[in-house]
Amino acid sequence: MKITRIYIYLMYIIVIFSIIMFISEEHYIIASLLFLGNMIPGYAMATSLMEKNGN
Amino acid sequence: MINEQIYRRFNHTVAACFVIYFLFPEYILGIQREYTILLFWIFIVAVDYLRLNKDLKVLGMRNYENNRIAGFVWFATGTCLILGLYELNLVPQSLAIATIIMAAFTDPLIGEANQKFGDKWGIGLGLLCSFLIYQLIIGVLFYSIIGSIIAVASERPKIKWFDDDLAMQLIPILVLTLLSLIDFSPNLPQEILGGDL
Repeated sequence: MKITRIYIYLMYIIVIFSIIMFISEEHYIIASLLFLGNMIPGYAMATSLMEKNGN
Repeated sequence: MINEQIYRRFNHTVAACFVIYFLFPEYILGIQREYTILLFWIFIVAVDYLRLNKDLKVLGMRNYENNRIAGFVWFATGTCLILGLYELNLVPQSLAIATIIMAAFTDPLIGEANQKFGDKWGIGLGLLCSFLIYQLIIGVLFYSIIGSIIAVASERPKIKWFDDDLAMQLIPILVLTLLSLIDFSPNLPQEILGGDL
């Protein structure tokens, strides 16, 4: 389970890094798509992780 | 417990970040970037081999995946094939980027919509999502309309040996590439990213 959590954090880092790279290269449409497409599942995933912490 | 369905969906949407490959320099740590595609694919296959044969626990697997190739292998295979075809100059970069992002976002959206609102909503939202992504990236209505219809149609059949994660990438990109070669078809932008990291 610990590895899974590390993997999930890694996924967040990959998304943030990718968005930053596309913004820095001025490819705003792709950066926006990556942000919008990952926003809802990313938020739901974070909520799910926090619920686990709460328990 | 981590919600496995959310975990699966998040894994799927994060796969859109594969397009960062197009910003990679020609050599990564001295290795030609094409070979990183192969190395990555071998790593994914190895993980699934260990899951199937050595009892490696992987979160987010569906019951029917217990004895067959996992969805993440199909998706990674589709993406690696697209990147490989791009490196061989067989598919344009614009279509490769649009198709990878489209498949990463549309498939989980269809799955969620099917589950919550029914199949018709799944098809409708799938068409809308894939159309918008193609249109925003390629910007040619002809390809956006055809691409979105083919993508959603590719998702429908449930075939054991040809998963929709692979079909939703390969079928649209191959059809759109072939269409772009026909004389009457509108011009397709080829390269939309040019820089190196």
